[in-house]
Amino acid sequence: MGMGSRLDLFLLTIAILSGTVLSDLILFKVDRRVDLTSQVVRVTSTLKVENDGTNSVSEVLLAFPDNQVKHLAYLTVTPNEGKGKSKHSANSFPVEVVHPKDMPPALTFYSVSLPKALGKGESSTFDVLAVFTHTLRPFPEKITQADIQLLVFQDSAYFLSPYAVRVQSLSVKLPDARIESYTKLENTKIHGSEIKYGPYENLPPFSYSPIVVHFESKQPFAVAQELVREIEISHWGNVQVTELYNLNHGGAEIKGEFSRLDYQARPHIRGASALRNLVARLPPRARSVYYRDEIGNISTSHLWGDSKKTELEIEPRYPMFGGWRTSFTIGYSLPLQDFLFQSEGKRFLNITFGCPINDVVIDTLIVKVVLPEGSSDISVSTPFPVKQSHETKLSHLDVAGRPVVVLEKNNVVPEHNQYFQVYYKFNSLALLREPLMLISGVFFLFVACIVYMHADLSISKSSASYLAKLQWDEVQGAVQQVQSIINRCLAIHDKLEVSLRDLSRTGDAQSCKAARKAADASLKELTKELKPLLGFLQSSQQAAQILPKVENLVAKEKDLQDRLLAKHSTVVDCYEKKYGGKEIENRVAQHQQKINALRQEVDDLLDFIDEI
Amino acid sequence: MVCNRKFSLGFLCKNIFLAPKPITSPVPEAWYPTLSVVMLAIGLVVTASFFIYEATSSTRNRSLTKELTTGAVASVFLANLLAVGRIGFVGLQLSMR
Repeated sequence: MGMGSRLDLFLLTIAILSGTVLSDLILFKVDRRVDLTSQVVRVTSTLKVENDGTNSVSEVLLAFPDNQVKHLAYLTVTPNEGKGKSKHSANSFPVEVVHPKDMPPALTFYSVSLPKALGKGESSTFDVLAVFTHTLRPFPEKITQADIQLLVFQDSAYFLSPYAVRVQSLSVKLPDARIESYTKLENTKIHGSEIKYGPYENLPPFSYSPIVVHFESKQPFAVAQELVREIEISHWGNVQVTELYNLNHGGAEIKGEFSRLDYQARPHIRGASALRNLVARLPPRARSVYYRDEIGNISTSHLWGDSKKTELEIEPRYPMFGGWRTSFTIGYSLPLQDFLFQSEGKRFLNITFGCPINDVVIDTLIVKVVLPEGSSDISVSTPFPVKQSHETKLSHLDVAGRPVVVLEKNNVVPEHNQYFQVYYKFNSLALLREPLMLISGVFFLFVACIVYMHADLSISKSSASYLAKLQWDEVQGAVQQVQSIINRCLAIHDKLEVSLRDLSRTGDAQSCKAARKAADASLKELTKELKPLLGFLQSSQQAAQILPKVENLVAKEKDLQDRLLAKHSTVVDCYEKKYGGKEIENRVAQHQQKINALRQEVDDLLDFIDEI
Repeated sequence: MVCNRKFSLGFLCKNIFLAPKPITSPVPEAWYPTLSVVMLAIGLVVTASFFIYEATSSTRNRSLTKELTTGAVASVFLANLLAVGRIGFVGLQLSMR
């Protein structure tokens, strides 16, 4: 408190002593609304600026005391179009820090550039939203579990400005709870949980009148000391977001013991300001959501979603009281087409910057965007200044590592949860690199198998067993070739049978004869091929066992062939002589029987040889 | 000025005629599980035929080209085993931690 009052006296003397008149602007009407319902202080000031002088002015200065600027997280100026003002209008005025001369010290000035300069006598209205963190101090600083949390807020009833103010008013909105005390100046009224100061008229520039409000708040102060958000893009279909939180309760610290029994029996009396749960708003169609910490999965969570958002409600493992801390990880994956776009030859990722949990103040926010390997020409565009750096990450199937863009920002509030873009170039063919790596890996295994089978690993090339093995291999080869020839002969036999059946169906003897001729020719060829193989088998020693079987097979097959040809010619003859069906059958009956029997035996022999 | 209300990007409204085109994966995502099972089955069948050919044919009858082609086809289909299996392995790691 001492520091605060010293500062107030200092500023009062500044106000009295300084007589600088800054340009010719006057603030016609100032309406300030201070929102203290959550842990961040939101000050919305509606300023009506009028140009009283002769020159046209395009710059308006805003002043903040230095100790407030330390905690200033977000400052934006938007035009006020009367009753229907838009929330996230894109046309906010650019604001920058300036250092004008002849100004009282311990003040920081921001200059707002108006799009249209104000001429003589013109006026314009705009809204200034300033968000401050860590400005509500708990007082008393340590409370027991049963005490209520009381906070102190200090500000000035008069709007601190380098211009004179005609009419101004201030309204302080407090949470729906007890108000311990507040500074009573003239024109102070209280309506429920709102304190109104004003209206005050005709105040000189830099006027300052300190007020202190001491009130109760049941809000838990969720402060994340560090939040690391990692956003990984995979061109095969999804964006994976992993968020690592180090959370603590920044309100009044707890002293004494924590009684779980009391807390569970009467949670709203013993532990009114404890952090019970957090609600996170994830983008729609988020899937594979997990919530875990270093111990493992935390099951106290609920997830439900609709087409606009997915809501995740999480409870930490224990209720957090003042001064306590916890850490956990939340992860989810999002469909690629909602966030990755292509325009003008570059691809860009469009995703929110801040944390999806409502009402969390983040001391240090680090956002890492991991782009697929092969991305080049990376650039980032954010709606507010951030600190950028680059690093690489090695992950699955990486050769050189994936490029990572690291964006860092301090003092982040929920107003910072806006979209930002990361641009990069990526060659579509580079997508194939990963599957090609896998395919070549597996192919290498197969080639290794082939090489192993072809390699001759025997130590002695002239031993008896080695030579015997070589010869047996050759015999096996010959036998397999004989087998394949016999199979081809059997195929030709089948074709002949088919032609016979065709004949019985259509009565066309000519085509039958043609088929017969073709069959004859190919059978002759096959017999020729068979001869050298049989000769080799006869000469080889190893084939002694198998030779009789093979010869038997060949003989039987020849027999079968002869009989089939005989049957074929008989049937054709009969057709030409126009005999009836019954007669034909009689003539070929015995042939047919023998043919069937032989066929059976040939098949059996083939099977037997196969098994050797 | 038609601004796509799905994302609140003021600056994109200027390139109305170049409204950004969303990028999707080359293979439709809904097919991923079915496709991977089918490719895996085919890959295993081709691998089996490769090894059967190796085991049954004797030295003189082997043809190198047939071996190589069978191996190549099998590896194309089998590569997806490693890709999908890797994801499953990572999932297993995470769930066990």
